[in-house]
Amino acid sequence: MMPTLSPTPNNNPMYNETTPLLNAANEVILGKSHKIKLALCCLLARGHLLIEDVPGVGKTTLSHTLAKLLGLQYQRIQFTSDILPSDILGASIFDPKNLSFTFHPGPLFNQLVLADEINRATPKAQSALLEAMEEHTITLEGKTYALPEPFFVIATQNPSHQIGTFPLPESQLDRFLMRIELGYPHHEAERLLLKGQSRHSLIANLPVQLPPELLLQMQTQVAQVFVSEPVLDYCQAILDFTRTSPDYPYGLSPRAGLALLNAAKAWAFLEQRDTVIPEDIKAVLAAVAGHRLRAGNHDSFAIVAPILAQVAIP
Amino acid sequence: MILSQHKISLVFLLVAIGLIALPHCAHLPAVIMGFFYVLLSWRFIGIWKPAYLPKQILVFVLMLTGIGLLATQYQGVVGREAGTKLFIVALGLKLLELKSARDIYLIIYLAFIVAATQFLFQQGPIMAGYTLFVSSVLLATLIALNSQQATLKKALKTASTLLLQALPMTVILFVFFPRFEAPKWKLFEDKEQVKSGLTDSMEPGSISELGMSAELVFRVKFIGPLPPPEQRYWRGPVFTFTDGKTWTASHDLRFGRYLDDPTFNGDGYQYTLLMEPQQKPWVFALDLPSEFPVPLRLSPYYQLITTENPGKRAEYKLTSNPEYNTGFLTKTEFKDSTQLPGPPSDKINQLVTQLQAGDDHPEHFIQQLLNHFRTEHFSYTLTPPLMEDRPIERFLFETHYGFCSHYAAAFVYLMRVAHIPARVVTGYQGGELNKVGGFLEVRQADAHAWAEVWLDQRGWVRVDPTAAIAPERVEQPINVEQALPNGAISYLPANEAVQNKVNLVQQSEQLWKSVDYTWQRWIINYDNQHQAKFLSNFGMANLKGMMNGLSVGIIIVALLMGAWVLRQPPDKVSPVLRSYQRFCKKLRKYHLLKASNEGVKEFGERVMITLPAQTDTVEQITRLFIKLHYGKDATAEDLKRFKRLVGEFKG
Repeated sequence: MMPTLSPTPNNNPMYNETTPLLNAANEVILGKSHKIKLALCCLLARGHLLIEDVPGVGKTTLSHTLAKLLGLQYQRIQFTSDILPSDILGASIFDPKNLSFTFHPGPLFNQLVLADEINRATPKAQSALLEAMEEHTITLEGKTYALPEPFFVIATQNPSHQIGTFPLPESQLDRFLMRIELGYPHHEAERLLLKGQSRHSLIANLPVQLPPELLLQMQTQVAQVFVSEPVLDYCQAILDFTRTSPDYPYGLSPRAGLALLNAAKAWAFLEQRDTVIPEDIKAVLAAVAGHRLRAGNHDSFAIVAPILAQVAIP
Repeated sequence: MILSQHKISLVFLLVAIGLIALPHCAHLPAVIMGFFYVLLSWRFIGIWKPAYLPKQILVFVLMLTGIGLLATQYQGVVGREAGTKLFIVALGLKLLELKSARDIYLIIYLAFIVAATQFLFQQGPIMAGYTLFVSSVLLATLIALNSQQATLKKALKTASTLLLQALPMTVILFVFFPRFEAPKWKLFEDKEQVKSGLTDSMEPGSISELGMSAELVFRVKFIGPLPPPEQRYWRGPVFTFTDGKTWTASHDLRFGRYLDDPTFNGDGYQYTLLMEPQQKPWVFALDLPSEFPVPLRLSPYYQLITTENPGKRAEYKLTSNPEYNTGFLTKTEFKDSTQLPGPPSDKINQLVTQLQAGDDHPEHFIQQLLNHFRTEHFSYTLTPPLMEDRPIERFLFETHYGFCSHYAAAFVYLMRVAHIPARVVTGYQGGELNKVGGFLEVRQADAHAWAEVWLDQRGWVRVDPTAAIAPERVEQPINVEQALPNGAISYLPANEAVQNKVNLVQQSEQLWKSVDYTWQRWIINYDNQHQAKFLSNFGMANLKGMMNGLSVGIIIVALLMGAWVLRQPPDKVSPVLRSYQRFCKKLRKYHLLKASNEGVKEFGERVMITLPAQTDTVEQITRLFIKLHYGKDATAEDLKRFKRLVGEFKG
């Protein structure tokens, strides 16, 4: 076993609260501990997650497991080519009893929403979802409805070369804090999966490991994780590198820089530290920057490899 | 109250401007300065209450007021007062019109000009230091305005660094930049710099109180030993003609060409004389000057006269010799120095006969007369009674009170009555030794009058009757500070041992005077002539040579500065990083090299694999480094521990 630097002894009790959750999730989704951690990291950083992979690798299972373990209200929206914004957001319907229009909230009014196969929907429906993601509110017919807190969207996407997809444009990809690929499981993990019992029954029996109030508290603490000047230097060096390097058609935006820092803060929190170190940025860089740098390519690690190799750590 | 960065910069700017204009209060009309400070305060209040700032119409009215003030406080259109006032009023008015960044720059440049105008009035080291300080504050404001992050403390630091970096270039420009003689029609008159000193006549009877001014007349630095106090007579105008009351110079100056050449014995004293600005072209050399440089000439009365503008501070290298023989007496000299305003009174004739006592030798008579002064209750005072009528007689027979002029006048008069050629010499006597700088300071209070008699075989010989009555006047420097308030005179102790015991205050005072002397001599006095003289030592005799020297100097300084700046590491390595680099260095022997893109945690984990025995130390070092470098609440103790761990780490 590889020796690792044990976490700094710290009296923050919150740090240990995430461990049982990750352990439980790892029992359901086998051999994907890093991806699960990234997903939780994204959640703690109040970002939305985009999972991009071929069908059947466990995208839905992951989101379902997270919802269960976190005790969040969960709703899955299956995006199709004929889905309409009102199917997602909800609509005002005439109530013959009261002789008035009443608002019927759509499936988006949940704490964790799985937007399945988002690139199958038309841009109109996609943008309805993405606006809600950004604002955490929905405005319909002049009225603004607040979405519940925490609000977390996991969108899944099939590789865009598949038939019948509307690939998300760069500007909308930017709304997702992270994009991850699950990938096929390892040989051993797959064998376990095949041998083991049905994932559905496993998920159904999962106990809540982290109640929503605690999650909100954690989110607040994550925002307070300290970022020192050298780390900011590193962050800016990365931004500059992407803007000047011929490897990338366009560099990372300031919003991407903020996203990188927020994700790194959450990662540091998961690593049980109250300060960000450059390794945290390196850990989340592929997930945060991959889809922002080259939308079409799916191998995020290959995309950010030049950054990791060439940007010096201050 | 928390002020935004912008507001703090503004407060700083306004305070700096207020300080810059402050010294002008000493010489510009109060109305103008008052107007300026009202505008400044208005702007100051405007930082918090922008609504109170005047609107366009009011600014226009204020501008008219300013013009009106300038017109009424008329001191000439051309000249330093008029120019400075214009700049100050313009600066004040511009303050009210502060809208864009451009306005601020304009204000700062105006403020720099106002700061520079100080030097038209005063060039002392204190003023230079003050102006430099205020300019650095202005510079800091300029830096703070241009840099978003810089705090004012940082800006001040940057400003002082900039000033220091500019120093070598300043020195080069100071030394090499060609200086031109100020035109004869001077742009400004420095009247007030020239103070009245000795006059060209002497009327002892009409003065009832001799002013004791501490004002500096000249400073002398001797090369080699100092002359003893009784030889420190600085020769000024010589008076030969008297009407009984007033003594003036002779009207006949044509005898100069018949004058015998004085002969000198011994080596004499070499010294540098730094004259403060004067009204008269008199240069006060030690009795008697034997060598003097070109712009000076020797009058028939052995007084040095400058042919240049005496209103400028000037430095001369002189040699004087106290052992001299002026040779024979010319006819004119004899006529002049035996002139009497009329037949002397019986009383005086009687006194002369009594003192001569049948011995015709002039030496004998001189001795007798000095004895007479000493024994007949004559006293030395600075506040003698008024003697409008027959002053010499009244002084000799009635009052017996007087200062140097009385004694000199009476002595010369009696000599002439006894047919001995005699004349009055005025000048300065003594001077205070500045121990720090090793120079003598001669002030107006050291003004003195003595007598000269012509003796056969010896020529003109100095006799100081005052020394007979008050030898301390000649042997000790006058203590001006103590003498000033009550009119009584006191002296500094002549004894070296006692003088060494003078208190700290006096010592620091002497130190300061020495600084001032050096400043005047080397900085202020460096004019076109001195520059030409100095640079000709290096073969830069003409303007072309100077320009070449200037260019070469600038290039050399620029190259040196550039090399110096480049030589410095781009940014300072903190002690934390330095220690960590030491740690990395120690790991090199295991071929463990930290890549530039490798985080410390990753590296630490890598080290732990290679050196499992050191796991604990490596872990502690790495954790402390993370705390110190990336953390927010690292303590000095953490750093100490970190350094110790790295130091103990053997690898």
